[in-house]
Amino acid sequence: MTTMAEKGEHRYVLNMGPQHPSTHGVLRVILEMEGEYVMDPQPVLGYGHRMHEKMAECRSWPNFLPNAARMDYLAALIYNHGYVGVVERLAAIEATPRAEYIRVITSELNRLQSHLLWLGVLVLDLGAFTPIMYTFEDREKILDILEDVTGSRLTYCYMRVGGVVRDIDDKFIERTREYIKWQRSRMPMYDKLVTGNIIFRKRIEEIGEFTPDMARRYGLTGPVLRGTGIPYDIRRAEPYSVYPEFDFDIPTETTGDCMASYLVRVREIEQSLRIIEQALDKLPDGPFMAKVPKKLKLPAGDACYAVESPRGELVYHLTGDGSDTPYRMKIRVPSFSNLSLLPELCSGMLLSDLCACMGSLDLVIPEIDR
Amino acid sequence: MESKDSVIAALKKVSVKVQEVDFRQRGYDLEIMLESGQLRAFAELLRTGNFYLSFISGLHLSTGIEVSYQFANYSFPCRLLAHVAVDADNSLPTIADIFQGANWHERETKDFYGVIFRDHPNLKPLLLAEDMEDLKPLLKKAHSLKDRDALTRVVKNAEGNPPPAVKKEDA
Repeated sequence: MTTMAEKGEHRYVLNMGPQHPSTHGVLRVILEMEGEYVMDPQPVLGYGHRMHEKMAECRSWPNFLPNAARMDYLAALIYNHGYVGVVERLAAIEATPRAEYIRVITSELNRLQSHLLWLGVLVLDLGAFTPIMYTFEDREKILDILEDVTGSRLTYCYMRVGGVVRDIDDKFIERTREYIKWQRSRMPMYDKLVTGNIIFRKRIEEIGEFTPDMARRYGLTGPVLRGTGIPYDIRRAEPYSVYPEFDFDIPTETTGDCMASYLVRVREIEQSLRIIEQALDKLPDGPFMAKVPKKLKLPAGDACYAVESPRGELVYHLTGDGSDTPYRMKIRVPSFSNLSLLPELCSGMLLSDLCACMGSLDLVIPEIDR
Repeated sequence: MESKDSVIAALKKVSVKVQEVDFRQRGYDLEIMLESGQLRAFAELLRTGNFYLSFISGLHLSTGIEVSYQFANYSFPCRLLAHVAVDADNSLPTIADIFQGANWHERETKDFYGVIFRDHPNLKPLLLAEDMEDLKPLLKKAHSLKDRDALTRVVKNAEGNPPPAVKKEDA
């Protein structure tokens, strides 16, 4: 007897988004379904497309600084870091040592708040409402600390070519140390509340099979890649700023499922805390801004600058022509490549598992759309 | 392939023009100039060498459009950037069957520059809306076009160091 599915009578198209709580922004996915099973999910991008790459070609390079923060609202400082990094590399300028330390400290705080938000919303997507209340309590502490020094809560425009806008003071250092202690005291609770929760585990264990080969074919980077057992992190693979001076591990898992990337991210929280702690201990004195010409022109030539965002490899590729406006700027964002494997990864899985996979990819849609 | 040198050797064997560049100045290790006919063989070679595709980008020059491919490797530091000038009919062969991740990157390049990727499985607009297909936002106006030489770093002194960009008098 042939089933209805075999006769092709059961296929239907379900539209998910662009406004849907588990797409975390204006992402639309067209799902070809067979009953509860997703047979072919096709993401539709561009709802939040602002053409940042064109904007970069239409204004002088300092005027692009605020744009950098507006691509990934959860990793604005890391986008700051990449952008000032590429301009510095092209123009052969070096930031002061103190500035590099401040950049690392604030970038890692930024990564922590991104991971905390991800932890809350992943579990929320799977139906548990409580943990997000706890992670947001932690996250608020970071946002308060960063607000004091940068002046904004999410879309920071804190870094400048040659350094940073404002120095950090003793109050910042004291509050950050208090926060590190606090965050460490919270981790055992998350272990019990989330990691050890049998309902949660059943929802993400053996869901989504990321493999090293698939990673190479799609250009997968970030915690999802490290969940497949490849210890690839730009902070270690192509060290930038002062990262080589710190002792930290690159957590990996081997199973490649959603649980693996979950465990990698949770363990990265501790590694970021370690980096911040060491950076605060070693923080050098001196100026927080190097002497940079007031009207700096970008020399002819091109340069890349890759940084590790909470979601993977972020690359700025800047081509200068001797004027103060970039001739071309390409921004390679991690979620773009990471999401592109969704059709291959999720074909044949339950719709509710697709939500778990999208939560594990930690998508930030304005970053993909740029 | 297990090191940068073995990559250079493998590329030279298939007569690809490859040049080592200083990572500290450029942020990548190898710069490669390809003919469009070599593109697919080049991608196949990197696929067997366990590289991953980082991004595909374009550049509008007075001589035409150039498409750039950046690859890197999870196992050893070797970031490379390959430039290919598009064919006379503004097209290039696709590599989306070799590196599936190229699918979206090629669609994006089509959106921004109008480059057609031959045999691409689905070359519909990705980031732009469907009625914006002819917009090609990253094409420059004729008067602002420059050639490769105007976008190439000038090395002034014998050691190969870049000229100091920070001059005392403008500081």
